[in-house]
Amino acid sequence: MLTSKFVHPFLIIVLFLATRGFAQESPFFVTYNHHMEEPGNLDIEVSTTNDIPKSGQRFYIAPYTEFEYGVTAQWTTEFYLEGQSTWADSTVFTGWRVENRYKPLKREHWINPVLYLEYENLNEASRIQKEEEGEAPDVSSPNALLTSEAVHELETKLILSSDYHDWNIAENFLMTKNFAEREGYEFGYSFGVARPLGTLASGADCRFCRENFIAGVEIYGGLGSTLGFGLHDTARYIAPVLSWAVSENSTLRFSPGFGLSQQSSPVLLRFGYTYEVQNFGSKISKLFGRKQ
Amino acid sequence: MKRVKWGWIWRRVGWTMLALCLLAAVCLAQNPTYQQDATWHAPADAASRPNPLSTKPQTAAGGRKLFIRNCVECHGKDGTGIETKHSADLQLPVVQQQSDGVFFWKITNGNTGRGMPSFSKMPELQRWQIVLYIRTLKQP
Repeated sequence: MLTSKFVHPFLIIVLFLATRGFAQESPFFVTYNHHMEEPGNLDIEVSTTNDIPKSGQRFYIAPYTEFEYGVTAQWTTEFYLEGQSTWADSTVFTGWRVENRYKPLKREHWINPVLYLEYENLNEASRIQKEEEGEAPDVSSPNALLTSEAVHELETKLILSSDYHDWNIAENFLMTKNFAEREGYEFGYSFGVARPLGTLASGADCRFCRENFIAGVEIYGGLGSTLGFGLHDTARYIAPVLSWAVSENSTLRFSPGFGLSQQSSPVLLRFGYTYEVQNFGSKISKLFGRKQ
Repeated sequence: MKRVKWGWIWRRVGWTMLALCLLAAVCLAQNPTYQQDATWHAPADAASRPNPLSTKPQTAAGGRKLFIRNCVECHGKDGTGIETKHSADLQLPVVQQQSDGVFFWKITNGNTGRGMPSFSKMPELQRWQIVLYIRTLKQP
């Protein structure tokens, strides 16, 4: 009831505000690069992380919704809501996150740093695996037990990213601290490389042109914690990524991630759909009477 | 001794952080005043770069498509700029006098302090296509 009250007016507003734009999003699911959201634009993204489990473990899907807003050309803020559904167990809400990315340098450089700060108010049932840190997540315990364990985590990342000709190369180094548990400081990494399949735009509007596709690969995993640093007991994945700008405002993304360690799931399938609302900020101001 | 409720405290910290972000987003996303930025200059080596597509004028059609998708929102369909956006009129002689290399550099780097985003995520050739199209906007 509450959902329909909120969601229907919200969808109407989004459709009303939608205008021409071009959503050529980064194809990565885990790795961030230095390309920030354009100021005033809002990206609404719906994604899922689906696990193909090992024998004895249960299949799950972990959907999440992300609202990404370009506050300025150097600052992007995001808000996430996430949940999880495990086969023959239950469907649970696993919490929310708010993150901020700030690009300190105004111009493009050989290496472009971005500072990242995120607060996570989750529980241990979280499965979206937007990042891998510390040891591998617990995918064996029942949701009833996991949801009772709170996670209040502060996460920082150093994002380094370069554009070399038409290649984007990004490296992320992360550190998290869960204030609800004595786990020490946890570490992780991700690296990604991607390139558009077509670099010259055709004159005609087309859906399946090569220029609408970006392909790449990302590698991510945990690095343990201050209680035990290293690759031991960590999950690690290699994941090809593909994004398709399916229309002027929307992008589809897909990535099959293959586990590289005993603690990893054999396959993580990720799907994402992003809808971009251009000039969301000024349109909202207009709704509230600000003169344009 | 009374036990400190860390969960409660961190929940409050999180909500406060979220509220501050939303407030800052509303305040900072507005650009009420604009003055031309005299410091927005391309370095000499960037300014002297020739357009690799200058011998392929037919690729300007793709540039037009990219311009409509990425630039019209602030510069208008005909490139004359939008007053309330404080964006440049690309037809003005003072703008058109700039070299292709300067346009390319400005599209690539943006002017983040003044609301012009960087379009470095676009492939290089597509940025040159936009430059080619901007040349067609010259006042008759």
